[in-house]
Amino acid sequence: MASGGRSPGPSGPPRALNILPALLLPVLLASFFFLSAAAAAETTATMHNNNWAVLVCTSRFWFNYRHMANTLSLYRTVKRLGIPDERIILMLADDMACNPRNSYPAQVFNNENHQLNLYGDNVEVDYRGYEVTVENFLRVLVGRHESAVPRSKRLLSDEGSHILLYMTGHGGDEFLKFQDSEELQSHDLADAVKQMKEKHRFKELLIMVDTCQAATLFSQLQSPGVLAIGSSMKGENSYSHHLDSDIGVSVVDRFTYYTLAFFEKLNMYSNASLNSLFNSYNPSMLLSTAYYRKNLYERPLNEVPVTNFFGSVMKTLHTDSAYTGFLAAHDIETPMSIRDNLHDHSMLKNGATTGRSDVEKEAQLTAHGWTEVLLEQLDRKNTDVVVVYGLAAMGILLALSTWLSM
Amino acid sequence: MERSRPPKRHLTVSDDPKIGSRSSPRPRGAPTDNFGQSHGAGHLPFRRLPSPALMAPPPPPPPPGVRIVFLSLLLLFLLTSTAADSGAASAVAPGQEEFTEELLLRPLPDRKALAHFHFRSSAPPADSVGRHHHLFPKAISQLVKKYHISELELSFTQGRWNYEQWGGFDPMSTSNAKPPGVELWAVFDLPLPEIDATWKNLTHTLSGMFCASINFLESSTAFSAPRWGFKLSEGNLRYGALPREAVCTENLTPWLKLLPCRDKAGIASLMYRPSIYKGYYHSQKLKLRSSQSLGIILDQTLTVVLQPNTVSGKQLHSTHGQLQPNWSMRHLFNRKLSGKCLVSKSSKIFIEVDKGIADKVNKTGSGLSWNNEFFELSNNPDRLIKGLNKLEVQSASLYEYDVSKYSEEQPFDVGITWKLPLIWSCAPSPFHASRFLMGSGNERGSIALSFMSTNLHKQIFGSTNDCSIKAVIFQVVPWYVKVYYHSLEIFIDGNRKTVSEVVDKIHVTPSEDKLLPGTLEMLLKFPCNMQSATLTLDFDKGFLHIDEYPPDANQGFDIPSALVSFPEFNSARSYPEIDALLGSPLLENFQEDSIVKSYTEALLVPLTTPDFSMPYNVITFTCTVLALYFGSLLNALRRRISEEERELKKTATRHGLIRLWLAKLRGQKVDPMESGSASESAGSKKLLFKVVFVAVAAVLFHYFSNNS
Repeated sequence: MASGGRSPGPSGPPRALNILPALLLPVLLASFFFLSAAAAAETTATMHNNNWAVLVCTSRFWFNYRHMANTLSLYRTVKRLGIPDERIILMLADDMACNPRNSYPAQVFNNENHQLNLYGDNVEVDYRGYEVTVENFLRVLVGRHESAVPRSKRLLSDEGSHILLYMTGHGGDEFLKFQDSEELQSHDLADAVKQMKEKHRFKELLIMVDTCQAATLFSQLQSPGVLAIGSSMKGENSYSHHLDSDIGVSVVDRFTYYTLAFFEKLNMYSNASLNSLFNSYNPSMLLSTAYYRKNLYERPLNEVPVTNFFGSVMKTLHTDSAYTGFLAAHDIETPMSIRDNLHDHSMLKNGATTGRSDVEKEAQLTAHGWTEVLLEQLDRKNTDVVVVYGLAAMGILLALSTWLSM
Repeated sequence: MERSRPPKRHLTVSDDPKIGSRSSPRPRGAPTDNFGQSHGAGHLPFRRLPSPALMAPPPPPPPPGVRIVFLSLLLLFLLTSTAADSGAASAVAPGQEEFTEELLLRPLPDRKALAHFHFRSSAPPADSVGRHHHLFPKAISQLVKKYHISELELSFTQGRWNYEQWGGFDPMSTSNAKPPGVELWAVFDLPLPEIDATWKNLTHTLSGMFCASINFLESSTAFSAPRWGFKLSEGNLRYGALPREAVCTENLTPWLKLLPCRDKAGIASLMYRPSIYKGYYHSQKLKLRSSQSLGIILDQTLTVVLQPNTVSGKQLHSTHGQLQPNWSMRHLFNRKLSGKCLVSKSSKIFIEVDKGIADKVNKTGSGLSWNNEFFELSNNPDRLIKGLNKLEVQSASLYEYDVSKYSEEQPFDVGITWKLPLIWSCAPSPFHASRFLMGSGNERGSIALSFMSTNLHKQIFGSTNDCSIKAVIFQVVPWYVKVYYHSLEIFIDGNRKTVSEVVDKIHVTPSEDKLLPGTLEMLLKFPCNMQSATLTLDFDKGFLHIDEYPPDANQGFDIPSALVSFPEFNSARSYPEIDALLGSPLLENFQEDSIVKSYTEALLVPLTTPDFSMPYNVITFTCTVLALYFGSLLNALRRRISEEERELKKTATRHGLIRLWLAKLRGQKVDPMESGSASESAGSKKLLFKVVFVAVAAVLFHYFSNNS
């Protein structure tokens, strides 16, 4: 705005009478442009531009092998679909792969056919063992770390991030147990998510929880842009899928098993929507009812591809020159002469569009008027008369049409 | 009993929300920029490290009786370090980064096989900060610059080195046998007050780099600053160990990423994870040395003891009168070697046969060729290297293979085939040291260290009886095991001895609750003809705060391994047949002076654990009692009986009114309802009739019109 005042405008000093409108015009144009530029900047800033995943296995001890297998399966899936290792925070509460009880050292399987070693040669565990605590988990989410903590242990997301938060372990009504010794409550989770939202740490967040009574963990969430999937409703248990008799324990949970079954069919370029993922859960197979909380989420689920969260696939935006979105704010400072012409064009265009839309609106209005009259008539007591007239008109129309068709 | 710990700096927890909001790709675990106190690596020139010979400002004066021993130790150390420096310096050509890869294989007496990978990367000294690295890992050079490290060693170990069977007197056991879990020590080139803060930041960085919980060593209760028991230092050494840390592939992967070829080519491609982690012992080590004259030398070693994957499983448990298992690289690792890592300067594989085998082969008269009476190697070696120990007696021999001759089309696989049953033993350390716990109950107990003589001194000193053998003990004990150092008792061959008879020198840093671990450094002098000795120390078990218990507290608490070293015994080898410039850092390391060391077992101390559900019970009960008390009190105080009666009356009258009104309503409502329904039904009939009429009319009209 100030720039508009500073610039002399297209008209020179000789035309003294025209000075006022000539000064006003650039001011108006500049303000218009400034507003549009600001709006453009806002939309580009909140565009989805990166993906993060936080995968948490909260259970310690050998008999909870399946929880680690769940988490590692998801880890493998998101890596396969394109999220790089430095954008995955993997938290594993115990060491299963090199556990003395594991008869397959350095290997973890999620199926008894042992086709797929989840603990391959390239696993980066960020928090493990005793480090997986509620405190550390919340610190990762809200980003308040001691200054010495390395980057690989931080969630460095921003306001354009889509975050997948996957948690598995033992839970109950509004809590999730960590390491069998402490709990994460639904209020804690909701507060952390709220803080993340206020700190612009995510654009959209998908929380996926595979525990007993998982749905209760979402009850306190309030922040917009959060989508939540739980493996079971309140009062339901989440069950394991099958037991591996070589390893001696259950190797995968049902909810995760069917999630993986869905993802195994996909590759990085698939267009499957979140809705198709949600519809793939069959309560009779899960032995529990998968729960989705979508009232905090704005976009229609059948239009959101799963790779928006489970992969790193983003819309590519073509720009004529580099960094236009960011330079727009500075463009106000450029000379006005060129700008003015452009603006006249845009104004004209705008005028045309508004005219067209007015006509359409009128048509809509008239259509609206007819129905309203009809409804009014029907509302009154003389419904019979209206009906009789209507039938008569129908009869005449029928007769006319029949006669015409002959 | 002097306490020698510089004051600690506290790091502030940063609450800045902006910290998390910048993201740019960076190598994993690279030191963070938002650093508690910056050392300004970019501005300060790299501090010049004084050469070891110059760097001995007199340490705090020891008691007079001990001084001679101390000086001799110091002298030994100086010799060691100068030798090491000269050896290492010879390997580095000025101005070029180098990388070498080597693998040593050795059959062990208990039918197992040892594999020792050794990778050395070296960077020349750099003047500027922003150096471009070709082979040397940038993350490591940044680490060295940022924290001013002059020496660092980090090891991840699973399993325990079997000193009886696998040897205790060779370079392998003295420098590559490590305590279970994680062990980290570092020497800093910094003023003493800054070291503790730097150590903390270093542990965090390493934990990010190697995917391990090394950051648990940041707390002052977890690390110590030994003076001479571990390694001679002037207070700039920090030592910490985590005996329970798990070691798995996620630690090996970042370690491999420091190699120029990773595990995609060269010797490192043999590291097939399932076969490596199936072994009995697994130790992955990273050792850094840096100085202004040498640049940075990074030694990465991986030592594994494997069970050869033999065809018949029957041989596994009987050792007498049967052949050793035949094995080859393919059996051990499930892989063959297809060529070397192309950027490596040298790529070699050694097969080492122990002195025991070599002696027996020599006794039969046939030379120690690759195909003799006892065994046969599958390939013809490039050369045979004979090693001598410190006393110029022949020790193990090495068959050398050069990998660069092999390629993808012609993969390399070397193995050993036994022709005759052979029993031999590895050279033991002078004493087998072991440590155990005594006592019962949750209140107190004692730690015992026992030494069993292996009669090695007879071979070395002859059979004189009036000599003595020195042993240094270094032990760190966490604060919740409160050791009473005055209760030290020493038994030699079952007879109790006074402390002054055996202990030459002792340095104790007593533990402080929740602040400092207890550190014990002790120099002992045992008579040569001693068969066994036992040291005991009593301790009380402390109590922890409920938040300080780990989730599996019932399993017990680990006390890190103690280190026993024998300063008079040196395990260095020499290879007289080949020149000093070996071109083999592995053998160079074997040539370095290293005193014989052995680690004891880690101890598991059960502590009193509370009932962890107790707080919840207490809270629940207390809340119930409080609620009952205050509820009834309020009820009694605030209740007004007369007002309540009035209220009751009011509600009664209101009820009557409502009832009356309802009745009235009901009475009125009946009529309109009926009339309304009647009119409705009549209207609908009429409507139906009309519809039917019009429809019939339409059909008729249609019919007629069609007919006509």
